[in-house]
Amino acid sequence: MDSRSKKILATLVALFVVAGGAYVAVAALGPDETTTDARPEASEVLAHSDLMVRAVDPHNTRLNGRVYEVDDGKVRRRSGDLACERVYYAAGRGICMGVAASGVDYEATIFDSRLKPVDKISLTGLPSRARVSADGRYGAMTVFVTGDSYLESSTAFSTRTSIVDMGDGSQIGQLEQFDVSKDGVPFDAVDFNFWGVTFAKDPNRFYATLGTGGEHYLVEGNVREKSLRVLRDGVECPSLSPDNQRIAYKSRIGNENRWHLRVLDLDTLDDHAVAESHSIDDQVEWLDDDTLAYSDEINVYTVPADGGGEAKLLVKDATSPVRLVAPANQ
Amino acid sequence: MYQVEASKALLKPRLWARRSSRLRVPRNVVALGMVSLLTDISSEMVATVLPLYLVFTLGASPLVFGAIDGTYRGAAALVQVASGFSSDRWRRHKEVAGLGYALSALGKVALVAAGNTIGGIGAIVAVDRVGKGIRTAPRDALISLSSRKESLATSFGVHRAMDSVGAMLGPLVAFGILLVAPARFDAVFVVSTLFALLGLAVLVLTVQGKPQRAPREGPAPSFRASAGLVKDPRFYPLLLAAAGLSIASVSDAMIYVGLQRAIDFEPAVFPLLFVVTALSFMGLAIPFGQLADRVGKVPVLLAGHALLFVVYGVLLMTSVGYGLLVLCLVCLGGYFAATEGVMTALAGALLPEKLQASGIGILITVVSLGRLVSSVAFGALWFAIGLQSAILIFAAALLIAIAIAAPLLLRAQRAPVHG
Repeated sequence: MDSRSKKILATLVALFVVAGGAYVAVAALGPDETTTDARPEASEVLAHSDLMVRAVDPHNTRLNGRVYEVDDGKVRRRSGDLACERVYYAAGRGICMGVAASGVDYEATIFDSRLKPVDKISLTGLPSRARVSADGRYGAMTVFVTGDSYLESSTAFSTRTSIVDMGDGSQIGQLEQFDVSKDGVPFDAVDFNFWGVTFAKDPNRFYATLGTGGEHYLVEGNVREKSLRVLRDGVECPSLSPDNQRIAYKSRIGNENRWHLRVLDLDTLDDHAVAESHSIDDQVEWLDDDTLAYSDEINVYTVPADGGGEAKLLVKDATSPVRLVAPANQ
Repeated sequence: MYQVEASKALLKPRLWARRSSRLRVPRNVVALGMVSLLTDISSEMVATVLPLYLVFTLGASPLVFGAIDGTYRGAAALVQVASGFSSDRWRRHKEVAGLGYALSALGKVALVAAGNTIGGIGAIVAVDRVGKGIRTAPRDALISLSSRKESLATSFGVHRAMDSVGAMLGPLVAFGILLVAPARFDAVFVVSTLFALLGLAVLVLTVQGKPQRAPREGPAPSFRASAGLVKDPRFYPLLLAAAGLSIASVSDAMIYVGLQRAIDFEPAVFPLLFVVTALSFMGLAIPFGQLADRVGKVPVLLAGHALLFVVYGVLLMTSVGYGLLVLCLVCLGGYFAATEGVMTALAGALLPEKLQASGIGILITVVSLGRLVSSVAFGALWFAIGLQSAILIFAAALLIAIAIAAPLLLRAQRAPVHG
């Protein structure tokens, strides 16, 4: 290297260090908008509200993820402690999947009925789905893992779904490691992806989606036996009704990433569409045995489960609807 | 100045000679290593935060990210051969490589300026990948042409080690910036752009375009001569061996999926698998390169592939502790360290000077096609007969591929050099 090149390079390095440093410093010292939000009553008891949602602020995405309680369509309380991408709650235990305090990792926070964090679980990818069994014993979380698309094809993506003990946050198992059977024989492939767990009244039993070879199977699982059984195809993000008789799910339109919501009766095998005409990418929540709630990532809507009626706006600027049930002994 | 100093510098580059009497690396190789290090910091910074940025700031579905991620992988392979042929034809390796680095830098600038739409990001990422495809063959040809034939593998080892240092530093720099300036992705993109521009500047200012072994006289090779390499008695055995070995090797991504299925570890450990493998690769790339120069590139290349048997063995076990897991990952890193750079060094030794970039471009494309075939075949076998049986079949295939590659490669090395 001649001395002229050396000088130019040294000048460039100095210039870039100053410019980069200055830019980062300005960014770091600039107004931190994440703390401008008021911190409301974080420790109020949830039990008497009928719906929990994750708030979306269309004007400032950095304020997204606060957990709100909604009663009859009106916001009653909100939490400043939790910032979630996905939230779910049942029987005194909730899961909040979001970005960790570091801002660069993902983690799940287990919280109690007072919205107080009790445990943290680090996540290996982008939060996708969260569920808690009705008795609050088990939690299920799905994340999208990036940088892992093994077939290098244009549609390859990878999910990971784990079941955790809501008592201490320990992992009980990953669906990827469960034994899968189809038509009574073992079933396995490298492109297995699981997502969207929904627990039955007996929390040991659950349903989920298995994606492989372009198909999307409804599987029934057993937590204790770590086993899964393929039931049928064309079902994504199942959600079991409170009476455990029906499953609301996403039905893919062709091969696109667009879905219609449908309801499948597990006994009669009756399978019908609901009166929502838009594409919905969400795991539906049952408000009661006749009513569904879901979001389009902007607002929460509701629609009758029997296919009649029409879709109605339930909560504006919210996602992740969760039905809150008052404990039986209160 | 370069012209005068070049031969002396090759024998005893001051920078390295002081640290170790045994590691002698041409200055041009170190300069190219520095270019790759800076460029990798830049690319890995963006790659690390892009999913977070897309989903949390732009509100894209992770599925969209998968699609963006996939669109550009195919593009890189196509341009590799073309850029290799053109570099040799024009005898402008540095300029063609520079075009590739410049395209990637341009992509980073565009990200700062227009990175707020999903379509825009898709296009920018594609440009970045095309840039990578363009620069690889001429850059490796420059590394080869800058080195004496006796130290080719060491040179590639040094380059790959520096390259991987950049890949490790990139995410750390990105995380560091987001830690002090939460959610300021623009700051990450700006700093990434500066690293990319600095890499380009180091290339332009310090890399010599016509190193010692670069052909200066005689007619420039035609595209026909470049394409004729696939029939060259010194080169085609390497292509055959490379194709066989890459098809018979289970890709690292498959290995990670297999480990995750076979071994019951906490999900939080998963990212560490990549880190341990990368550290092993970083630490072993130079020693394995030196070893290849001392005992021969062919034995090291084949022994490196044999390290995969340890990995397969661990995948076949029903219960694996952390000790075995680390051993498995160290062997995986060792496999990379003993194969990719060493194979390119072997190509550099076998290819005529005037067709280095063409040959390396063809080799890279053959290897990436082989890996694709391997992934599809492994996936199909896994589905049909299960993970364990698929691994056993791949182990047998690798044994056969090594047995066939050994005589092929030795024969290639003995084949007479001709014009």
